[in-house]
Amino acid sequence: MKAAYKLIEHTADIGIRVKSFSLAGLFKNAGFAITDLSFQKQTSQYPGKHNIVIRQKAANVEELFINWLNELLSVSAVEALVFEDIKIIQINENFVDAIAIGSDIRNYKFSAEIKAATYHQLKVKKSGLLWQAEVIFDV
Amino acid sequence: MYEKMNGKIPLEKIDDYRWRIPRSYKPGMRVPGLIYADEKLLKDIYQDKALEQVANVAFLPGIVNNSLAMPDIHWGYGFPIGGVAATDIEEGGVVSPGGVGFDINCGVRLLKTNLEYDDVKDKIKDLIYRLFSDVPAGVGSEGNIRVSPKEEKEILLKGARWAVEKGFGTDDDLECTEENGAMSGADPQAVSERAVQRGKTQSGTLGSGNHFLEVQVIDQLYDRDACDELKLNLGQVTIMIHSGSRGLGYQVCEDYSRGMIASLAKFNINVPDRQLACAPVASSEGKAYLSAMKCAANYAWCNRQCLMHLTRKVFENFFGSSWQKLGMFLIYDVAHNIAKIEKHKVDGKEKDLCVHRKGAMRAFGPGHPALPERYKRMGQPVIIPGDMGRNSYLLAGTERAMPETFGSACHGAGRLKSRTASAKSVTSDMLLKELGSKGIIVKASGRNTLVEEAPSAYKNVNDVVDVVHNAGIAKRVCRMRPLGVIKG
Repeated sequence: MKAAYKLIEHTADIGIRVKSFSLAGLFKNAGFAITDLSFQKQTSQYPGKHNIVIRQKAANVEELFINWLNELLSVSAVEALVFEDIKIIQINENFVDAIAIGSDIRNYKFSAEIKAATYHQLKVKKSGLLWQAEVIFDV
Repeated sequence: MYEKMNGKIPLEKIDDYRWRIPRSYKPGMRVPGLIYADEKLLKDIYQDKALEQVANVAFLPGIVNNSLAMPDIHWGYGFPIGGVAATDIEEGGVVSPGGVGFDINCGVRLLKTNLEYDDVKDKIKDLIYRLFSDVPAGVGSEGNIRVSPKEEKEILLKGARWAVEKGFGTDDDLECTEENGAMSGADPQAVSERAVQRGKTQSGTLGSGNHFLEVQVIDQLYDRDACDELKLNLGQVTIMIHSGSRGLGYQVCEDYSRGMIASLAKFNINVPDRQLACAPVASSEGKAYLSAMKCAANYAWCNRQCLMHLTRKVFENFFGSSWQKLGMFLIYDVAHNIAKIEKHKVDGKEKDLCVHRKGAMRAFGPGHPALPERYKRMGQPVIIPGDMGRNSYLLAGTERAMPETFGSACHGAGRLKSRTASAKSVTSDMLLKELGSKGIIVKASGRNTLVEEAPSAYKNVNDVVDVVHNAGIAKRVCRMRPLGVIKG
């Protein structure tokens, strides 16, 4: 996992900007940003990888982006996993089918609790060949 | 008329503590914005996008009187933090999950003790370390209070009463909790299995971020009558607990925010920010959200009741006396992220309103029927935490707040700096040293939390409370200063 994102200043919460030449890359980068912002690896004492299928659909790419991020946050919390890798199987502007590969949360130390991704000032757009997204997380 | 301009946002001065954003600022505003602040706080408020958010909230269908902002207002997502908006249910008034937020019924409770400063001053470090050890704090922390799936559903219905029935408190605690610790109309069927799973191991956990448990001492009395009534004196030790509905609340908000996006088109609602997505209170969408929100609110009241129980146990072991003998009685517990159906007068006529308080606290005045008998004379206790280096306050609700703010006041100091800016400006070692020099012991799960929550990241709570008091929407009772804090 290599997290590539920039922080956007926000008084109470945390915003990020991510870019990629593909929609799949954009979604992966945003997912990796959540892991990078939330956790610090401490140990590999608890081995094993857990593959979780994440499938989301939405009316448009912005809603899909929010649904995707919130599903990652929710599944991570419920399954007690930290997603170290993501494989996008299929994606378009209304549908994403992916496998999130998680490691036991006990291998990590928490650095922040992201409650959810919000619609506030949300941007997901393609300029030329480049996809860009901005999102603010409630922390 | 005095006028200030911040970019395009005009502010009309009403008096020294009230400023108006006129409806003409943005086509689509149904009511003006009304901001409680003085000139000093306005300079801070201008620094972010909170005023724009006050104007955006004024778009909500059915909103009455004003889109309100308390002096601790700052930039949120959708609603500003410190925002209050009431919608008229009969006139198609809406409920917005974004107007409550992800941490449903985040709130505070304040306990008194009969301990004096001298009883704890030499023991505070050991006491804080013991609290940190026994009260689960931090992201992902799991509670020692284990509940079965059946009990989890019971908590959603019974709220703090569930904890009391388990022996984690008394009926007196419930009387001193808003809604007696449980809103009626909660429907566990409206809460997704995922939300229940997300909250499963978190009963009796503090959480992270700005949540805390603080041991304080009263250092200033303002209203002698109210202090006498509450049996509060200078030098007396108090305890404040700030927490919410944890993962369960986040998931309820997320589940219903998704649905509310579709409601915008269905009900032909135009709002300038999708995080203000909403549905009429009377619609099936609105009713379902409120039923689920009440479950999360009840979960939060149970959580704070469990946290108080754990705190009492630590004090009992530490001081070798029962919590009753230590005088650890609850003064009050109030939500500051919630939507409530309340009766208020609008243009002289009593109306059923859906009052959203997003980072704002209910502050009902004397005589209100929702208050327990013991607070009917002085008004509702209003608990205002500050940052971990300065003060916190106990205020009381006023009659003036009822028509003006739907009985609402501020909820804290309000953030001034972003988390990243705060983390860049101070190291955890510097901060611990600075707080230590003031005699304040802090124990936190993570160093990140500590620097993000540094006092310099917040407005001065004394300035915020001055505005609330001088504007007459709540009155000062007493002030506390921190002795020790545990944070997630």
